Order: sequence, then structure tokens, then C-alpha cells
Amino acid sequence: MTRRKFIQKVIEALSAVIIGTCWLAKKASPRRFVRALRVKKYPGSLKPLDNIEKQSKWSG
Amino acid sequence: MCLIAPGQSGDCRVRINIDGVLRTVVYGFPCSINPDPVEKKPFFHFLPGTKTLSLATVGCNLHCKNCQNWEISQANPEDSQAYFCPPEKLVEMAKNSACPSLAYTYTDPVVYYEYTYDTAKLARQSNIRNILITAAYINQQPWKQLLKYTDAARIDLKGMTDDFYIQVTSGTLKPVLDALILTKASGVHLEVINLVIPTLNDKPEQLRRLCRWVKENLGSETPLHFSRFFPQYKMRNLPPTSAETLDMAREIAMSEGLNYVYIGNISSNVGQNTYCPSCKRLLIERSGYTVLQNIIKDGCCPDCSKQIYGVWK
Repeated sequence: MTRRKFIQKVIEALSAVIIGTCWLAKKASPRRFVRALRVKKYPGSLKPLDNIEKQSKWSG
Repeated sequence: MCLIAPGQSGDCRVRINIDGVLRTVVYGFPCSINPDPVEKKPFFHFLPGTKTLSLATVGCNLHCKNCQNWEISQANPEDSQAYFCPPEKLVEMAKNSACPSLAYTYTDPVVYYEYTYDTAKLARQSNIRNILITAAYINQQPWKQLLKYTDAARIDLKGMTDDFYIQVTSGTLKPVLDALILTKASGVHLEVINLVIPTLNDKPEQLRRLCRWVKENLGSETPLHFSRFFPQYKMRNLPPTSAETLDMAREIAMSEGLNYVYIGNISSNVGQNTYCPSCKRLLIERSGYTVLQNIIKDGCCPDCSKQIYGVWK
């Protein structure tokens, strides 16, 4: 192996290690926490705020 | 986690991508607001005998085939009816209705996260406690943020395998286990519930595995509720859980060293009461959601003075 080829191999190997490390670091770092913004209008229909004194029929 | 394409909603149906901006369509628009007994959540070691102003919006990030509230959890906001109730109004309503706490419940507060967070922050300033009833299918970072304003969490541990979570809920197990550990570590009052479903998670070895995990990771003081399954939604082919199976689950949990084990969704003589783990004295007697007597004094057993895990005032 010539010196030039040896250096090329070393550079390739180092590049692979650096790319791999960057990929791993990106995977391991916490995901970005995005707060959703509110909308002004409810897409469904609205009902008046009454009849809320009773126990709920829903579980939990 | 789901990727949301522009113009589309996420898996929960209530978070949408509008021109690259994540928006929640349910902020300030609960579909249900009701004062419930705190025992209905169920919380057995948190302000027993009090009412909690309970709310939910439509939508859920899980799709449990046995969901008891599927009419709201799996609803499209477009097809639903909601109140307009911003956080300030909710806190005011809790104060006016003499509820010492607000419960974020019925569907899952992690789906109406921003609404829960802002309301909880405001409620804390008015000395209203915040309680979350959740499957805790959430990433660590937002969960940590929300726990800062949370006084109590009742978390579903639906099963102990990824297979179970994938098949029954469409979620996965690890985020739930991580959230449970984080909750305990944060000092927030924690109670755990497991819905016992015939043939799916009711085998003694499955129940034992769950109990061992709870004891090893959350401690023997953490209350554990076993709840009775009823055929619902997309799981109508299975029978309700038998009383014998629930009793067996309770026996297993106690033999594994858990101190407070309850059974719910069924009438039970001993499975709804709180006993002192040290001297076995009956401390809280319950019938349904009603507290018949509570003799805990300053958070301790009046006979042997053992401190009882919980928030009592």
C-alpha cells in the first residue's frame, strides 16, 4: 500500500467514525419540546356553561 | 410521537399543523366539566371525601380497544360540542363550587397539555390542587414540566409487555414506565391503576410481574388499584372480570409486599378500604365513592402511629 492510499483509508475511516458519532448524538439528544398554539374558534359547536353541577357520566 | 403533515391533524385528532405551526384546537374548550368525588378517579389517598372539579376535552393519543370513554376520547372535534372555558374561568369555578382540586381526566390531559399546564399554573396560585388522571404516554421533557404544577397523578399501567400495549392501546410500554418513575422521583403523590382484562392480562404471573415492578420501582407504599373490565367499544367479545380474579390480583399484590391494594368497578367488602399496613386497623371505610369513616389522624394510624402514604389535608 502506498502512503497516499494509506492516508486516504485513514481519512475515510475517520470520516465514518465522525458521521456515526454525529448520528448517534442526534438520536440520543432529547427531542425538541414544541408548545402548540391555541386556535380562536372551536371547530365543533359550543354549548352554554350550565348543567355542570352533576357528577359526570364518564369514567375516571 | 407522530409526524403531522401540513393541513393534517395528529393521531389524537386535536393537534394540527397549520402552515408549519403546531396548533391545539381544544385549548379552552372542554367537552365535560363536572364535580366528582375524588374516589371516582380513583384516588384513595388524596384528600378523601372531597369533590374535584373534573374536566376533559375530546381526543386521546391512545386508542384503547376497551376505552370506556371512547365517545369523547376518539371523537373528532368537528363533531363534538364543547364549553368555552378559559383557565381563569375554570379556577374560579373550582373556588365557587368548593372543590379543593381540579382533575384533568376522562380522556387524557397529555393531549390537552397546554390547557392543562396553564390552568394548573393558575390554580396553584389560588391554592387549588391539580390532579392528573392519565395513561402517561408522554415524553419525559414535557412530563417533567407538567409535574411542577401537579399535586397528584393517577397513572394507568395497562400491562407489562410491549405486545399488550401495541395490540390493545396502540401505544408502547416504555414511555409509561419512564413517566411512572419520573413521577415518583418528583415527589408528586402517585396512585397506579391496572384494568384487569380476562385472557389478556389476568394471569397470575402477569399480575405478579406488574406488582413486582411497582414495588421495585415505585415502592411498597404506592397505592395500586385493580379495576374491573366491562365489555366496551371494540372489545365486546370478552366477559367482565370476575370478582375472584380481582381478589386474586389483590392477594398477589399484597403477597408481593404492596401495602395499599384496592379493587374497583365492583362492590367489595375489604378491597375498597384502607388498612394500616402495620397493625391492620381499618383506617378508611368506603362504600362506592362514599367515605363512611376516616380515622387517620395527622396522616398517621391512631393506634400504632404509622405514617400512612398520602395527602390528607
